[in-house]
Amino acid sequence: MHLALIYKALIAILLIALATPWAHADDGLLPVPALTGPVIDQTGTLSASDKAALETQLQTLEQTRGAQVVVLMVPTTAPEDIASFANRVGNTWKIGRRDVGDGVLVIVAKNDRKMRIEVAKALEGAIPDIAAARIIDGAMKPRFQQSDYAGGLRDAVIQLSARIAGEALPAPASSGNAAHSPDTSRDGFDWTDLAVFLFFGVMVAGPLARSIFGSRLGGLLMGGGVGLLAFVVTSSLIVAGGAGLLALLYTWIFGGTGGGSSRRRGRGGAAVGGWGAGVGGGGWSGGGSSSDSGGFSSGGGGDFGGGGASGDW
Amino acid sequence: MIQRIFALLTALLALSALTGCGYNDFQRLDEQSKAAWSEVLNQYQRRADLVPNIVATVKGEANFEQETLTRVVEARAKATSIQVTPETLNNPEAFNKFQQAQGELSGALSRLMVVSERYPTLQANQGFRDLRVTLEGTENRITVARNRYIQTVQEYNVLARSFPTNLTAIAFSYAPKPSFTVANEAQISAPPTVDFSASKPKP
Repeated sequence: MHLALIYKALIAILLIALATPWAHADDGLLPVPALTGPVIDQTGTLSASDKAALETQLQTLEQTRGAQVVVLMVPTTAPEDIASFANRVGNTWKIGRRDVGDGVLVIVAKNDRKMRIEVAKALEGAIPDIAAARIIDGAMKPRFQQSDYAGGLRDAVIQLSARIAGEALPAPASSGNAAHSPDTSRDGFDWTDLAVFLFFGVMVAGPLARSIFGSRLGGLLMGGGVGLLAFVVTSSLIVAGGAGLLALLYTWIFGGTGGGSSRRRGRGGAAVGGWGAGVGGGGWSGGGSSSDSGGFSSGGGGDFGGGGASGDW
Repeated sequence: MIQRIFALLTALLALSALTGCGYNDFQRLDEQSKAAWSEVLNQYQRRADLVPNIVATVKGEANFEQETLTRVVEARAKATSIQVTPETLNNPEAFNKFQQAQGELSGALSRLMVVSERYPTLQANQGFRDLRVTLEGTENRITVARNRYIQTVQEYNVLARSFPTNLTAIAFSYAPKPSFTVANEAQISAPPTVDFSASKPKP
């Protein structure tokens, strides 16, 4: 009886586990391609030299103006229409500098015979929808009709660059790589959270450390531990040093009055210490964001709100 | 010693309970959903502002289908007559009414755009083409704004209904927020009837 129940439960769990990935795969949307460079051609239309020329064009734009323009060619965007696919890709890549968000995505769906210029919110003033439509109608459409994809894209990028040049954007960082390297330490990290956590952590753990290791060693350990934690999380030596010093002083000065009463180093104390560290580490390791690697990387600031224009040929 | 450890454990538990009750998450998501909702309204307003221009341009076209035009004008009047306040969000009835009115305007406008295909002079008019692009862009922005609102509300509602954060929601009476639904579900699920005999291109 009991066995049968357990059996049923196991089968149910197995079914659920099996069903979950299916449900994910079933939405049938085209996966967002990996951002490998400023020009991504999944159709194999552009010749190597055309692609290189286009890439130089886009890299020059990024170095002189800071704005990131990415050209993506896909065979088809089905089952989505090109506008929602472009928006999804744009918001996944988040091209554009982190603090500016100046990104433009040029998408060509070759077999659908459709193209779209998707403009991030920061550039909607420089490239309004009507301007994007004019670029599509004037530069891309006639050349695409003659199967001159490289020429159409080149002219489109020239016109886009001219429009971006007319916008007063912040100058790009002097060293070309500064804008590129995603700043992981500051990204998605909340200073106040750390401060609150350490504040309470020191208040709680300080007296305990004193009672286990004695006032001097406990204080040193506490300060060292907090400093180490702060350094791991913020990767800033100054912040870590400050936090460690504060924790050390707090434990020494305010660490409770009964510090000297119990100096036993019990197994329980060590176990609790280990558990506390585990909680601390586990809690904070999730806070860091994963950085995308690769030669070309997105600035991570582009927010695409549906601006831009679509066209066909 | 053991007492101290227990005290420490209780303190840690209390701390994790404080952060786990989700009060701050509720505040964050509530503000986020309000901001997302404002963006939805913003884009709907942009569309409503666009309609008079489109109507004026189309009116210039001789013998344009009057019925389509009046329907757009009426739908716009109806959509803009609904007062939207932040309380609309917590009132599913008003929310549905608003959504329905905007849906009607969407339908009337797309019908207008389809009909306009039959008028070559209108298609050649640069002003009309620009308006058309702007309308298209606005519809895209509405879609994105609605999507973002739906996502935020989903996050909020999951928090409001799942344990243990639902206790916080009950204590502070945070009700789940309404989300967008497809207004014409029945129409969409029915297969479309295609009749080529009726729609002959007009000269």
